[in-house]
Amino acid sequence: MDAEQKAADTTEQAQEKGSLRETYDSQKINASTTSETTEETAITPNTVTIPAIDVKADIENVGRYANGQMGEPESVDGVGWYKDGYQPGAKGSAVLAGHVDSLTGPAVFYNLEDLQEGDEIIVTDEEGTEQTFIVQKSEAYDRKNAPLNKIFGFSYRRQLNLITCTGEFNKEAGTHDERLVVYAVHEDDVNPAG
Amino acid sequence: MKKQINWKKSLIALPMSAALMLPTATVTFADDHGDHNEKMSDVTVSTPAADLRATLDQSLSEHAYLAVVTMQKGIEGAEDFDAAAAALEGNTQDLTAAIASVYGDEAGQQFESMWSEHIGYFVDYVKATAEEDEAGREEALNNLDNYREDFSMFLETATDERLEASALAEGLQMHVNQLVGAFDNYEEGDFDEAYQKLRTSIDHMYGVGKGLSTAITDQFPDKFENTNPATPAADLRADLNHLLSEHAALAVLAMQKGGDGAEDFENAAAALSNNTEDLSAAITSVYGEEAGQQFEEMWSEHIGYFVDYVEATGSGDEEAKEQALTALDGYRADFSEFLDTATEGGLEAEATAEGLQMHVNQLTGSFDSYVEGDFDAAYDQLREAYAHMYGVGEGLSGAIVAQNPEMFASNMPSEMPKTGLGGTADDGMNAWMIAFASMAAVLFATAIGVRKSKNNA
Repeated sequence: MDAEQKAADTTEQAQEKGSLRETYDSQKINASTTSETTEETAITPNTVTIPAIDVKADIENVGRYANGQMGEPESVDGVGWYKDGYQPGAKGSAVLAGHVDSLTGPAVFYNLEDLQEGDEIIVTDEEGTEQTFIVQKSEAYDRKNAPLNKIFGFSYRRQLNLITCTGEFNKEAGTHDERLVVYAVHEDDVNPAG
Repeated sequence: MKKQINWKKSLIALPMSAALMLPTATVTFADDHGDHNEKMSDVTVSTPAADLRATLDQSLSEHAYLAVVTMQKGIEGAEDFDAAAAALEGNTQDLTAAIASVYGDEAGQQFESMWSEHIGYFVDYVKATAEEDEAGREEALNNLDNYREDFSMFLETATDERLEASALAEGLQMHVNQLVGAFDNYEEGDFDEAYQKLRTSIDHMYGVGKGLSTAITDQFPDKFENTNPATPAADLRADLNHLLSEHAALAVLAMQKGGDGAEDFENAAAALSNNTEDLSAAITSVYGEEAGQQFEEMWSEHIGYFVDYVEATGSGDEEAKEQALTALDGYRADFSEFLDTATEGGLEAEATAEGLQMHVNQLTGSFDSYVEGDFDAAYDQLREAYAHMYGVGEGLSGAIVAQNPEMFASNMPSEMPKTGLGGTADDGMNAWMIAFASMAAVLFATAIGVRKSKNNA
């Protein structure tokens, strides 16, 4: 079959179903926006439970100060979720911060440094949906030199990082010199492959 | 009469009550609109990290697209199967070069052999399907399973465990399912589902590119000047890269199907329209409903002209072909003006029109070559058209971000929170003094923040 014949056949075929343009135009009406890939496990956190150190706390949303510093929970018994970052259960690092002490004594994350690899952190939303994260490691950083991209940034795994203060209390700055970060990974993302 | 809170008064009163509550608490939400220490001139889509992400996104998503096309052509025994497979091979080489540039030649070679192997299993699957060899299909899927584990371990090791193998393996399983699924649906004549899976498989690869580029830049921060590939600005660039390159890819495929008078032209056209809608939604999110609608009309129209071109080619109507090209010329002028206006000169109309001419030439060129049976050229032009869109994506997102930096400023804090008040510190310090000092520090910081944002306004 020569090219012309083929072209003619093609045209005939197309005309049986209406022209290509008509077909295309009709598809425009049917078009529906495909949904973005959403993480089914992402939740807006309401409470956090850490059995190993006997913590059960309500979560407040916190943002940033004008100087760019992450905000803190208002209550010494509460935990702040960094609302401008990732949700627990979404790919990326969700961040929760809690006080190590108040003006007068220990606060909610006083024993955070005792967490060991393998300990569970359970975050729950308002409806009671739970997401469980497994502690991987803890690291202390100078408060001015913490790796913010690593702590707050995107990651392929679903991660949860907990922050509190540690180190010496610096009277002049009115804060501790270091920050403790506990790194945890969603339970479904830590098991070995296969 | 409305009651108004006297903020000044409550701020002054604060130190008095500071011992009873956390002194910083009241101002926690007082200013969430400062500049967060990020200069607006620093908000950009073009960083070494974002470039790496774009390179990986391009190769990975093109891989998914070419794999689906090659499998379709394979089961049909189409004349252009070899050319499609060669394009896929060219894509593997690009991806290998990207991996080797980060991890060295040896790792690059290891990557290439694994990657080529997995493509081979997909081809085995197509062949077995064509021969109705159920055992062969099973074997191909088993081989893909083993590959998935080995490849996950390879990347986990390479990235120093930043990409954890099980999360990655799960992601690769999705990739395999999408490709095999898209092929099975196509073979069964469920074209709607086949094209939806094609789109999903492309979309999926942008998640892989984001994760991989994050792991690599975290591993070698110096090499990427400590930049982050997953900023809101880089996300916009990735989104536009995605939708624009997908547009080119689906347009070429739809034109081929139209030219062939294939049954699935309709479904390819629908996929293309879905892409248009997503692209319009992206424009709407920045420029509002009206601009989004205008964009959608123009964009749909220009695809229509390509369809006219295909139709005219099919009927051998040279005059109608010319007409379609003239209509595309008119679109180029209007659309370039539209973008010039929207970006307030960020995208200069003349340069845009030139870029669009390249796009038109690549698409009609690829189609002409396909019709003439010069399949190598057809797929070369397709790959050019795909790559071209990554330049457009960077340019368009760059102009949008330059115009609206505050919309795409980093959402990360620039300092760690103050999560302790020293009540357990072993220094016998007066709690009142601490409260006063930290209060003063916050007020001072707030004052600086306000001043800075004024300077940047």
